[in-house]
Amino acid sequence: MNPIQSFKPLALAAALCAAAIGAGCAGGDPVANRTEGKTPAIIGIPSDSVEKFGGQAGIDVWVDDLFYYILADNRINTIFTTHGHVQRQMALNKELENMVMGGPAHYSGASMSAAHAELGLTLTQFNAVVEDAYLACDAARTPYHVCNQLIAALAPFERVIVSR
Amino acid sequence: MKGSRGSKLPFKRVAAVLAMAASCVGGSAHAGWFDYNDGKVFLTEGVSMADGAAGGGAVPWAVIAGNETRDGINGNVHFTYVSLPNYSALIPGAAIGFFDRFELSAAYAILPTGSTFDTVGLVNSVISGSSTSSTIGGVEPWNTTIKMQIYGAKVRVFGEAIYDSDNWIPQVAVGGFYKINQNKALLETLGANKSKDFEAYVAATKIFFPISTAIDITARYTAANEIGLTGFGGPNGDSRKVRFEGSLAYLLAKNIAIGGEYQQHGNNLGGHSVNLGTSSLTSVTNTLAALGLNGASTALTQQHESSWADIFAAYAPAKNLSFTMAMLDFGNITFTPNQIGFYLSVAASF
Ligand code: HEM
Repeated sequence: MNPIQSFKPLALAAALCAAAIGAGCAGGDPVANRTEGKTPAIIGIPSDSVEKFGGQAGIDVWVDDLFYYILADNRINTIFTTHGHVQRQMALNKELENMVMGGPAHYSGASMSAAHAELGLTLTQFNAVVEDAYLACDAARTPYHVCNQLIAALAPFERVIVSR
Repeated sequence: MKGSRGSKLPFKRVAAVLAMAASCVGGSAHAGWFDYNDGKVFLTEGVSMADGAAGGGAVPWAVIAGNETRDGINGNVHFTYVSLPNYSALIPGAAIGFFDRFELSAAYAILPTGSTFDTVGLVNSVISGSSTSSTIGGVEPWNTTIKMQIYGAKVRVFGEAIYDSDNWIPQVAVGGFYKINQNKALLETLGANKSKDFEAYVAATKIFFPISTAIDITARYTAANEIGLTGFGGPNGDSRKVRFEGSLAYLLAKNIAIGGEYQQHGNNLGGHSVNLGTSSLTSVTNTLAALGLNGASTALTQQHESSWADIFAAYAPAKNLSFTMAMLDFGNITFTPNQIGFYLSVAASF
């Protein structure tokens, strides 16, 4: 085989890489910084996701369960007890989760970058919240497949929430 | 959490050097020289593939072994058992993942060939006039066992398999294996060109949460026959080529995945009979016929090597323990067709 040929995938990889970094810089990440609209996940979040979650009432239960697990999680709970405003965060998350899955709610809080910038969060801490999110789905008996619609909708926020 | 539990591990000096290298690639500084971390989400490290890297069962993925995130170091030990009609394989291995960026792996494949090479071995003994345990052409009269060391390294280049659910850019990693098959004489008998060789690959992995599905596509630059267990290249020389492989996994629950895999194989040895000493089998057909072994020549001609396919279920009862079960269809392997069997693999990370 021609050695030049075998390097083609690498060259393509490098080009894609540069494109990805470029896209990330331009406009300061429009998806992860937005405060309105459904998350434009690839393949698409089904339009009945909010309904499958049990509507706003079901999302409210899920957020209550989420904060129960977060405050019981010794890996991250002190961040919330020292820097958080849990009542406000719960109310805002109830709006946000509805919004990102394509529901009608209006989110009235700060952008995810603004809300978390000062906290210096790590990916390890972010993943702890992801695990608590799945536990909250289990607690609310939200099927795994439905839970993944919310995960798809929240995942891009990682880019601005994790700053270390 | 940092630098606490891992500090007792023996590979700390190597780890420190690699950690520095990895943190350069990652572009972030780390305080400790050994940052133990177990922050990955369930099953997002994949499982351990046959060559020892993180992946599916046979296909290396772009994910990095171990439960660590970009914040630290983790690793796994794994053990795989394969059962086929004419072969079995035992593959213990271990891998270390540095900052979810760089992976080192080692595995040791032990493949008792059971009945397969007994025929070759017996014919050898007959031709050589020895009825006892003479080893000719690397084949024992009974149960020749193939052994192969596999060393691997992988680096994540770009892309985000998990978090970037809003773009199609997959997580891409490049990696390689260096494989040392210890049965040089047997490989010569089979007509393989080399007993040691490297393989290089590019893997692209992406999880699609809206459909709870993970997909990997890998291109491997290799000359391997049966992943190297029957050597590299054939009688017509070394022919390293790009071959494709892929996995599709449907996530049934946060700790259960089911799916299938495909791995393209080459055909370096198909149609080639065994080489006995300096002569190929064809020249001793008369001797064999005189011994009433008329069919031996056809029985000892290697079949067209088949590509591999499997369907699997992976289950992680705890975040740091996974079991993978698979049904395999490996088709023709050396002389023997219809190699349909099963695979069981256990991986523990720390
Ligand atoms: C996708 C994941 C996350 C989402 C959707 C999310 C959502 C939110 C929302 C809606 C707020 C309120 C913003 C406001 O007050 O206007 C907030 C604040 C906050 N979040 Fe998160 N968050 C996420 C991850 C995390 C993680 C991983 C941590 C820490 C481990 C964290 C800790 C905090 C804290 C401490 C505040 C309060 C900040 C303040 O009041 O100054 N969040 N988050």
